[in-house]
Amino acid sequence: MTIDWIAFIAEGIRMATPLVFAALAALICRQAGMFNMGVEGMILCSALGAVIFAHYGGSVWIGLLGGIIIGLATGMVIAFASLTGKADLYLTCIAFNLMATGGTVFVMYLLTGEKSTTSGAFRSYQIPTINIPLIQDIPVLGRIVSGQSLLTYLAVIAVAFMWFFLKRTRVGLRIRAVGENPKAAESVGISVNKIGYISFAICGVLCGLSGAFMSMSWVTFFMKNMVNGRGYIGLSAQNMANGQPVGSALASLLFGFTDALSTTLQNQTNFPVEFLEMLPYLATIFAIIITSVIAINKRRKIEQGMAK
Amino acid sequence: MNKTQKIESMMEVVRILVGLVIAYAVALAILFAISEDPIYIVQQFVLGPFSSPRRIGTIINLAIPFTICGLSMCFMYAVNKFNLVGEGIFMLSACMVTWVSILLAPMNLPSVVMVPVMLIVAMLTGIAVSFIPAIMDRKFNANVVVVSLMLNSVIQSLATWILRYQMRDSSIAYLGSLETPASIQLPKIFGSFRIQSGLFIAIICVVVVAILFYKTAFGWKMRLVGANPRFATAVGLSAVSISFIAQLAGGAFAGIAGATEMMSNYTRFQWTTTTQHGFDGLLVAVLAKKNPVLVPIGALFLAYIRIGADVVNTSGDIPTEFVTVIQGIIILLVAAESFLSGTKNKLIFKAAEKEEKAKEAKAA
Repeated sequence: MTIDWIAFIAEGIRMATPLVFAALAALICRQAGMFNMGVEGMILCSALGAVIFAHYGGSVWIGLLGGIIIGLATGMVIAFASLTGKADLYLTCIAFNLMATGGTVFVMYLLTGEKSTTSGAFRSYQIPTINIPLIQDIPVLGRIVSGQSLLTYLAVIAVAFMWFFLKRTRVGLRIRAVGENPKAAESVGISVNKIGYISFAICGVLCGLSGAFMSMSWVTFFMKNMVNGRGYIGLSAQNMANGQPVGSALASLLFGFTDALSTTLQNQTNFPVEFLEMLPYLATIFAIIITSVIAINKRRKIEQGMAK
Repeated sequence: MNKTQKIESMMEVVRILVGLVIAYAVALAILFAISEDPIYIVQQFVLGPFSSPRRIGTIINLAIPFTICGLSMCFMYAVNKFNLVGEGIFMLSACMVTWVSILLAPMNLPSVVMVPVMLIVAMLTGIAVSFIPAIMDRKFNANVVVVSLMLNSVIQSLATWILRYQMRDSSIAYLGSLETPASIQLPKIFGSFRIQSGLFIAIICVVVVAILFYKTAFGWKMRLVGANPRFATAVGLSAVSISFIAQLAGGAFAGIAGATEMMSNYTRFQWTTTTQHGFDGLLVAVLAKKNPVLVPIGALFLAYIRIGADVVNTSGDIPTEFVTVIQGIIILLVAAESFLSGTKNKLIFKAAEKEEKAKEAKAA
């Protein structure tokens, strides 16, 4: 058994892209004090939206825009239900994800007559990959860093942007203030609902990018339930990093590698597929345990320190 | 019960009913918009499920697993833990029941022994699986929703592996397990309605859970923890361990649901994906407002729109998936506190005003 390690690392980075966007999307809501499980369904809807817009608009860029628009729209639906409608956010998100799973299949069937994938009926579009001039000639690094999808590079920029946005802008500060203590924020004149809607809008755009990557870069069509828990994995990634952008991206990268490991081993060994398919999910569960233990120990230390 | 409470509980019922009516109207609107022969299709959707005894029987058969899954989710929902592991348990317990029954087949035990043994296997499976997110919630304060969803994906692969490598029948063309022994196959009852005898299991479960919820100390503690965890802790209850036990109990019932479905409807285990029953259970629990007595009604309603969708699918080629959209709308409307809250407040205000006037009149 020989594994092409360079290809594996490149694949890991590629697989991490939708997770990074998902993690950032969950992160912005978390910073505003909301645990948004709806990212899973939002990404799924955006993935379908991207394919539909690209097909009818005839361009990959219209597709990308379509993914973002659908992401934004779905974010507003959840925000409306939970902020204006005052529905329990968990229930809202579970209901929304349920609607997304069935709704995407329904819409796909109405438009294409197919129930599992759009690959036959819709033209496939791919977001271009970018070869970075000098770097692509460096032996190992070139194959890893260069030649990735445009969205992969955008994901890196998004991480930096998110850090800057949260730490250095007025809106970012307000979002964090609301997340920290909504009543205190309200008392100094910040509208909690408005901040909530803003966070959901940013979340929606990021989900749109994640969805567009799934259906126009990971593969070039939409298929039923293609997101397959990636939204939840992104959610856990930001949870592991305690809502910090850079940490969330690194955690997403870790999960991206697990994902790549699972597919690489499936292609190159005869280990039972079922166990390899479990890998990303098992990794997430273990990661949640480890980070929780660390967080608990930290808190205990602080409490002990206070006792002294 | 004072007037305000009366109005509040009445409005709860009204809200659920209005929510259902709106969702149903949306369903009809969707059908109207997309079908070529809308009147026929809508008629099929509304009346189709009642068009033959067989179909009425199917509604009840479908409502059986919905009921038991709904009960399972009542436990989770009662303590406000959205532990969605029921989805995975339903599949795994059906798988385990098949596997164990095949292993026990050479012993030729009678049904009287086999069926209870299978139910115990299913409950143990449910408790074991549900233990994972529950203990993680208790010890590490890990998010139950995320852990349980991840666990569902793991279970799906695990059950498929058991099917493929441990009990596959290689003599059939499709991927399916060996046939289960006749002793665990539950008979159909009521002649042409062809209702499963699993109905009795469901009824027993409803009675047991209702007693547990409303007639035992544990049920009372559980509801208190769900309604106000801080108060519960303040009066000396351990909110953590009560919600832990509630999650295990919920898991056990999800296991029973999977086993009942397997024993009543299938002779071979052949699922390779989870079946959505866990999420259906959540809808039923939300509709029933976590009240086990109302669970069967929620389950029957869900089964009715499902069969309606099936009828429409076969007679008009409209995909059944639109029902999940309707399901989502129902959960959203019922869960949204602001929905009709204006009307509720107005009614309470009016009642209070009336009372004041009556008092004034008396004083004068």
